[in-house]
Amino acid sequence: MNLGDQLRMLVVLAFRSLWAHQVKSAIIGFILVGGTFLVVLFGALLSSIEGSMSRSITSSMSGHYQVYDANAEDELALFPGFSFGSVDIGEIPDFAKVEKSLLQVDNVRAVVPMGITIGTVFGANEIDHVLESLRNAVRDGRSDDVKVLGERVRVIAQSIYGDMEARAAISSDPEKVARQRDALNLVLSEKFWDDFETDPLTALDFLDANVAPLAADGRLLYLRMIGTDPQQFKKEFEGFYLVDGEMIPEGQRGLLLSKRTYEKLIKNLCARDFDDVYHDVKLGTKLSEDTLLQEKVRRISRQYQRILFQLTPEDSAEVATKLREFRKTQNVPETEPDDIAAMVQWLLLVNDENIDENYKFFYDVIAPKMNLYEVPVGQEVILRGFTQSGYIKSVKVKVWGTYEFSGLESSDLAGAANVMDLVTWRELYGRMSDDQKAELDSIRETVGVQDVSREDAEAALFGGGGELEVAAVPDAPVFDEFAGANLKRGEEEAALNSFDPATLHQGLALNAAIILKDPSGEAKALTDLKAQIEKDQLGLQVVDWQKASGIVGGFLMTMRGVLYIAIFVIFLVALVIINNLMVMATLERTPEIGTMRAIGAQRWFVMGMFILEMLVLGLVSGVIGSIAAAAVVLWLGSTGIPAPADIAVIFFGGDRLYPVISAMDVIFGIGLIVFVSVLSTLYPAFVAARVAPVVAMQGKE
Amino acid sequence: MMSLKRVLLVSLLAMTMHAEFALAAPSDADMKTMLVTIDDRQQNNGDYKSLVYIEQKEKDKSDLVYQAVVYRRDITDKLVILFLKPQAEAGKGYLRVDNNLFMYDPAVGKWERRTERERIGGTGSQRSDFDQSRLAEEYTPSYTAEEVLGKYTVHHLELTAKRGVDVAYPSVQLWIDTATNNVLKRQDYALSGKLMRTTFYPEWQKKYSASKKAEVYFPKEIRIYDEVEKGKNTTVVMQEVDLNSLDDSIFTKAWLESKSR
Repeated sequence: MNLGDQLRMLVVLAFRSLWAHQVKSAIIGFILVGGTFLVVLFGALLSSIEGSMSRSITSSMSGHYQVYDANAEDELALFPGFSFGSVDIGEIPDFAKVEKSLLQVDNVRAVVPMGITIGTVFGANEIDHVLESLRNAVRDGRSDDVKVLGERVRVIAQSIYGDMEARAAISSDPEKVARQRDALNLVLSEKFWDDFETDPLTALDFLDANVAPLAADGRLLYLRMIGTDPQQFKKEFEGFYLVDGEMIPEGQRGLLLSKRTYEKLIKNLCARDFDDVYHDVKLGTKLSEDTLLQEKVRRISRQYQRILFQLTPEDSAEVATKLREFRKTQNVPETEPDDIAAMVQWLLLVNDENIDENYKFFYDVIAPKMNLYEVPVGQEVILRGFTQSGYIKSVKVKVWGTYEFSGLESSDLAGAANVMDLVTWRELYGRMSDDQKAELDSIRETVGVQDVSREDAEAALFGGGGELEVAAVPDAPVFDEFAGANLKRGEEEAALNSFDPATLHQGLALNAAIILKDPSGEAKALTDLKAQIEKDQLGLQVVDWQKASGIVGGFLMTMRGVLYIAIFVIFLVALVIINNLMVMATLERTPEIGTMRAIGAQRWFVMGMFILEMLVLGLVSGVIGSIAAAAVVLWLGSTGIPAPADIAVIFFGGDRLYPVISAMDVIFGIGLIVFVSVLSTLYPAFVAARVAPVVAMQGKE
Repeated sequence: MMSLKRVLLVSLLAMTMHAEFALAAPSDADMKTMLVTIDDRQQNNGDYKSLVYIEQKEKDKSDLVYQAVVYRRDITDKLVILFLKPQAEAGKGYLRVDNNLFMYDPAVGKWERRTERERIGGTGSQRSDFDQSRLAEEYTPSYTAEEVLGKYTVHHLELTAKRGVDVAYPSVQLWIDTATNNVLKRQDYALSGKLMRTTFYPEWQKKYSASKKAEVYFPKEIRIYDEVEKGKNTTVVMQEVDLNSLDDSIFTKAWLESKSR
C-alpha cells in the first residue's frame, strides 16, 4: 500500500472505531462540546467586555494612553476605587514641552492635559443661604430683596420654633432651650424687624449667631475634580456630552458637574430620595411589600422642612392653595389638617396608588419654587481644597452645566469626575511658587523659632529651670498690626475670571491623555511614545487605558485571570478524563491492535489511527460546541445582559452588555479543543503503538 | 465686669496657694481655685490685641507660616483672628460670637460656620489657643499627683468637661507649676480616651492692664504637638500684646470683610 492508501485506511479506521465505540465517543464528545461551548462563550463575553470597556473608557477620560511622572510614588488611577484618599502621581511641570514632543509621534492626534484633585463644597443649611443673600441685599441696598428675604427668615424661624417643644423634651439643658426660644421669639417679633431697618448688620450678626445654628447643619460635599482644557476634552473624548446648561466658554473659568454627582449628591435630599422611591416603584417594586422602601418614604415625609424652608411666604400660600385642591381630587377627608406643613407631609407620604400623581404634583407645583440643587447650574460655587503647599485654598467658580459620558450614565465611578478648567484647578492644587516660599522664609526669620521635636520637648523647654514668668516691657509703644501687611485683594485677582486659552497648555499638569489617530496601531504607538519620551528626556511613564483606569483595569485583569484559570482547570479535568477513557479503550482494543500489527501495520500507523480518531472527534465536538456558544451569544446580543452593579456598568460600557462573537473566538475555541484532544490521546496512542503482536494475539498485553 | 470682691478673693487665694498646695494634695475647692486663678490671670476686663506668629511643621510637607492679629473682648466672649501674612492668606479670618465660630475667606467673599475643633488656618492650633481661658467654667478638676516636669514641680490635674459645655476635648490633663501657678503642659483627649495633642507653655508674660487694674497673663510661646499625626507640630508665638480698648466694630462680620475689600 502506498502512503495515500494508508492514510485513506487510517481515516476509514478512525470513523469505524468512533462508530464501533459509540458510548466512549459520546462521553468524550460531550466533554469536548461542553469545553468548547464554555471557552467560546466566555471568550466572546470577555472580548465583548474588553471592547465595550475600551470604547467607553478611551472615549471618556483615559484616551488610549496616559503619561505621568516616571518617578511617581503612586500609580495613576482615573477611577478612584473605594477610597477618596489623595495619591501622589508626581507632576508634569512644563506641559507645553511634553505636548510638543509627543505630538511628533506619527500616530498621536492629541495630548490632553489633566490634573486630579479633591475639592470640598460646604453645603450650608437653608437659613445660612437665606442669611447670606440677606446680608448681600443689605450691603447692596436692595430693599425689595431685603423685605422678601426677611420674610423667609421669619418663616424658617417660625418653623424652628415649632420644633422647640420636641427639642425641650430631649434636651439635658433646659436653660439653653429657653435661651434659644427667647432668641426665636425676638426674631419673630415686629420690634426685631423694626430695629433691623435701622441697624441691619447687628441684627444679621444676631441671626447668624443665635438662630442659624438651630437649623440642621449643612453638609460637606467632597468632589473629585479633573482639571483640563475643557474645549479639548469635549473635542477629543467622544463619549462626553453636555446634559444641562452650556459648555465652559473658551478662555473662561468654569466647572462642569457630572450629571450623576448633580443628581445623587447635590440635589435637595428630599427630592433626591423621592426620585429614588419613584424609580424603584417604576421598576416594579411594590411599596406595600417593601418595608425598606416604606421606611424611606416615612423619612422623606419627616424631612418636609427641607422643602418648606425654601418657599417664600407667597409661594407657601400658593402651594397650600393648590395642595388643598389637589387633596380634594385624591379624596382626602376635609377633616385632615390643612396647614402647609401637614399637607406637604401628606404629599410625600406616598403609597402604590398615589405615587404617580403626588410625584407629578411635587415636580409641577413645588419643585419650580425651590432651589432643587445646592449648587445650581449657572451659579457660582465655592470650592475648597487643601493645597500642595498645605494652605487651604478657596476658589469661586461658575457651574456652567452638567455632563455625562455616553454609556456610563449610571456609573457612580465614572460619575465621580467633575471637569474644570486647568487654570482654576492649578489654584486649587496650589503648588507654592518660589516667591511665596521666599515670603515665608522672610516671615520665619523675623521670629526665629527653634525646632523642638516631641521627644525632646520637655527637656528642651523645661530642663533649663529659668524664669517661667516674665514681665512685659512697661509702656511699650502700641504696635500697628497692619504695618507691612497688605490685605486688599488686588484688582488683578478679580479680573482672573477669563484667561488666555493658551495658558491651559502651559505650565503645570499631573498627567495627560494620549489620543491616537488610528487606535489599531496601538502597539507601535506605545513603542514610539516610549522612544520619544526617552529621546527628549521627558521623565514620563506611559500606561495603557486599562492600567490608567485604576480599580476598573484591576478588576478586568482579575476577570481575565479567573477566566484563564477556569479554562485551564476545565481542560485539565477533560484531559485526565479523556486520557483515562482512551487508555481503557486501548486496553480493550489490544487484540485488534495486535492483529493489525501482525498483518503489517507499523507503530506510526497505530499511533496515527488513535490521534486521527481524537482529531475527528475534537473537530466535530468543537464545531458543535462553537455553534451552541454562538447561538447563546447571538441571543444575549439581542436581549443584552443587564449590569448587576456599578462597576459592571463600566465593564459593559453601559447598563447592558450586548456581546458579539468573532471568528477569532471560534477559531481559538476549536483550536484549543483539538489541541487538548490530541494531547490527551498521545499517551494512550503511545501505549497502543507499543503493543506487541504476539502478546496481543495471546490475549495479553 | 469682674466684681471687686472676686478680684480680692482670687488675689488672696493666689498669694496663699503655693504654701497650701505644697503641704498636701489640694482639695476640690483648691483645684477649682487654681483654675479660676489661671482663667482670671489671662482675662482682661477690657480688650486684648496680640500679634501672633503661627508655624506648623509636618513631616514630608511644606511648613505653614502665618502672621495674624488676634482681637479679644473677654467680657462679651468675642474673638477675631485676622491673618496678615503671607500675602496669599492675608484677609482670611475667624470671628467668634457667642458659641459660633465663623470663617471668612476674602478670595470668595464668603462666611462659613466652623466647629470648635477647627484647625486654625489648617494648623494644629485651635480657637481656644487664642481665646481667653475658661477652664473653671468648662471643666471639673480632679487631682492626679504632684510630679516633676523638667526642673519644675507641678500639680498634675485631670479635667473633665462639664455637661452641656461645648468644648473641643472632653478630657484634659493639666500640669501646673506649683511655684507660679502657670500651666506648663496640657494634653487633650478625645471621648474615646485617645490622646489627641500635647501642648507646652514654656514661658508666660504678664502685662499691666489699666482696665483690669491688675496684670494680665498670656503665654509667650505655645508648642502644640499632634499626637495622632506624629511629626506634626505647631508653634504659636505672641509677638506683641496690647491691652488698650478696641473699637466695637471690630467684632463684626462687616469689619472683617471690610479689611480685605
